[in-house]
Amino acid sequence: MIRDITLGQYYPGESAIHRLDPRTKIVGTLLYLISLFVVDSFVGFGIALVFLGLCIKISGVPLKFMLKGLKPIFMIMLFTFVLNMFMTPGEVLVQLGPLKVTMEGIYNAFFMVVRLALLIIGSSLMTLTTKPISLTDGIERLLSPLQKIGVPAHELAMMMSIALRFIPTLLDETDKIMKAQMARGADFESGNMIQRAKSLIPLLVPLFISAFRIAVELAMAMEARCYRGGENRTRLHRMAFGKSDVLGAVIIMIYMAILIALRVIG
Amino acid sequence: MSYIKNDDIIQIEHLLFQYQREENKETVTAIDDVSFSVKRGSFTAVIGRNGSGKSTLAKNINALLLPSGGAVYVNGYDTKDEEHLWEIRQSAGMVFQNPDNQLVSSIVEDDVAFGPENLGVEPSEIRRRVDEALKKVNMYQHRKRAPHHLSGGQKQRVAIAGVMAMRPECVILDEPTAMLDPKGRAQVMDIIHQLHEEGITIVLITHFMDEAAQADRIIIMDDGHVVLDGVPKDVFLHGGKIRDLYLDVPFAVEMAEYLRDNGMEIPTDIIDTDTLVTYLSSDAAKISEVSEKSAFKVEQSDTDTAPEKEKTGTIVAEVKNLRHVFNAGLPFESIALNDVSFALEENSFTALIGHTGSGKSTLIQHLNGLLKPTGGSVYINGEDIHGGKEKLRDVRKNVGLVFQYPEYQLFEETVLKDVCYGPLNLGLSQEEAEQKAKRAIELVGLDFEEVKNRSPFALSGGQKRRVAIDGVIAMEPKMLILDEPTAGLDPKSHHDILLMIEKIKKEGGVTILLVSHNMGDAARLADRVLVMDGGRLWMNGTPQEVFSKAEELSEIGLGLPPATEFMYRLKQSGVPVETTALTVQEALADVLRWKRGEL
Repeated sequence: MIRDITLGQYYPGESAIHRLDPRTKIVGTLLYLISLFVVDSFVGFGIALVFLGLCIKISGVPLKFMLKGLKPIFMIMLFTFVLNMFMTPGEVLVQLGPLKVTMEGIYNAFFMVVRLALLIIGSSLMTLTTKPISLTDGIERLLSPLQKIGVPAHELAMMMSIALRFIPTLLDETDKIMKAQMARGADFESGNMIQRAKSLIPLLVPLFISAFRIAVELAMAMEARCYRGGENRTRLHRMAFGKSDVLGAVIIMIYMAILIALRVIG
Repeated sequence: MSYIKNDDIIQIEHLLFQYQREENKETVTAIDDVSFSVKRGSFTAVIGRNGSGKSTLAKNINALLLPSGGAVYVNGYDTKDEEHLWEIRQSAGMVFQNPDNQLVSSIVEDDVAFGPENLGVEPSEIRRRVDEALKKVNMYQHRKRAPHHLSGGQKQRVAIAGVMAMRPECVILDEPTAMLDPKGRAQVMDIIHQLHEEGITIVLITHFMDEAAQADRIIIMDDGHVVLDGVPKDVFLHGGKIRDLYLDVPFAVEMAEYLRDNGMEIPTDIIDTDTLVTYLSSDAAKISEVSEKSAFKVEQSDTDTAPEKEKTGTIVAEVKNLRHVFNAGLPFESIALNDVSFALEENSFTALIGHTGSGKSTLIQHLNGLLKPTGGSVYINGEDIHGGKEKLRDVRKNVGLVFQYPEYQLFEETVLKDVCYGPLNLGLSQEEAEQKAKRAIELVGLDFEEVKNRSPFALSGGQKRRVAIDGVIAMEPKMLILDEPTAGLDPKSHHDILLMIEKIKKEGGVTILLVSHNMGDAARLADRVLVMDGGRLWMNGTPQEVFSKAEELSEIGLGLPPATEFMYRLKQSGVPVETTALTVQEALADVLRWKRGEL
């Protein structure tokens, strides 16, 4: 199941979205995420959905691949839905003992779930179409003005890019250790909460040890390749805004404007 | 010291390296008074068993570790001289053992760019160097891919490209092939030779003697000292000494030694199979008059004794039309297993071979129910294992599965507790579990009283592996599956593990399925060999049957046991010998028969 997480994976391609400057995509995605909290109507969500749909279409990433990313958070979505449905006060539709299903509840539940889904898919689209390294480069560049007030932009970006690099490795490792302990009769699925938490020890201890081993070995390999922080470091990829970035920025601005207008009017 | 450009790129003078052990603050001397120099453009192999100090030595050359005494000079710069640290690391690049843990970036070409970026090279120049380096290691077509989608050998080639992009004069490789399969090993060795031909100085740290034999100088280290140092043929004159250090000698050297013992004159500069074959098939190779005492002196290998428990003919495990599809319905759908059927007899020893990605790992995970078949069935003791949840626990009790690098699953504070984990999961009492653990620990040749209260993490590599295997043996399975139990171990630990497996089989009455890349091991130990290729069972036969198909095996990326390979080459060069030999003793007997005209 853990292999289903698409957030943080890169889907190679040459689409217009892929070619955008990472800074455009980061800011654009942030605006999109904000927009999801601006909208509160069916029309608004409709626009947000269509906009994302178009972006996905242009990116050429298969929809199936994007939806797969929702699988691991399915439980959270269900939970959100149920919680919202029962906990929102308002016009009562159905009464089940102390639990009341309200009209507002159904609205809220629906909006929250759609919001969550769009949040995840929206940010996955960014990570799927941007090489992790460009992403962290973009963040580094966006944060670099803050370096003067002591924000360690390079270090943060390096940490993120290493994290991205090793997520698949650690997932593989988790899978392997889990299977190895299952072969020794471990049971991760049954029992009460305490038993289940306890059953994770044989998984977590080796995993932490692995992570530390990787950290030590990687640090040494980086030193051997003359890594000494961000100073005087050059980059293979130079970043430059192009015409498509201007176009992208304009489009996202128009999108934002429409949604805000909708909110204000509606 | 000032910069002096001389013939030697590396000079090591009375190097002493000590460190403090964390548990007891004891001072350990890893390298004790080592001196030697490395000539520009040379290819030096440093070989030694685990703990001999060879890796510590490599890290001292790259200034990742600094000497406790003596000095190391790279290009004339003292490694203690911080001012020139970056020049040293740039001119003596380093490649490490674990292909995963040295790649920094999630895109191949960005990873290769990491070094030049750190050196502050101009972007356009970085581009040029990255492309050049990737082409050199034959990975240019994979430049946009993510490292975790590459094979071990490919990752290691990316790591080499990453070093080459820094334009070093010398590359130090610290056991670069230890974690690779035979194909990956061969690719990496090819690249190393190619770099050497281009004038790069190579220092190869390894524990594989057949790799060291390809260098133009071998330095053997043991216990922090240099024990032997010279050109390969001179070093191999000390075969006895090399074996005393628990290292192997190449097959050809061993064969030549045996032939000499039996009255043949073999020049000492013959150290590889090709030359030995050419020499033997020429008229020069004559056998002296057979004297009574030297006649047919072939040592019987200790492994040929009959197993204590005879095969009964009962089927322990059976697989019928097994099929497994990963990511069914997705763009990256892949058929991992396709229509695989076979049966394993009680008390048999079966080897499962096939190149990486042929479906071996997927197959064995079906045998204890970790993976569910997409189609077909698995029967253990005649019962379908997917007949309910209760069944699965029974299956895990009956079929023990030891994964690759099992030591990575150790987690308890003490050895005893860790080994007890499996038996306790089966519902045994603490007392019973400890009893089984004791039996298992003693079975693998460890001293129970000595290790039981030690932390498994404080043990040596080979011991850790044995304790981890114990965790499965203590569950007393009827059938034991081992996925490359010797991967990454030095020759001594490799040998120990194999002895252990044979002992388990004899004393425990266990059916064994061994996944291996080592054809020599498969031929010597197994009575049946299963060959996988592209998710299908390509062949199921005795070792003789399987290894008689040299050409077909080579087509699916598999080699032969060294002895069979040797006989096969002899036959190819026109010598009328059979190619049925599986061990060096059998090959020797065949060669002697031929030379004595008994054929």
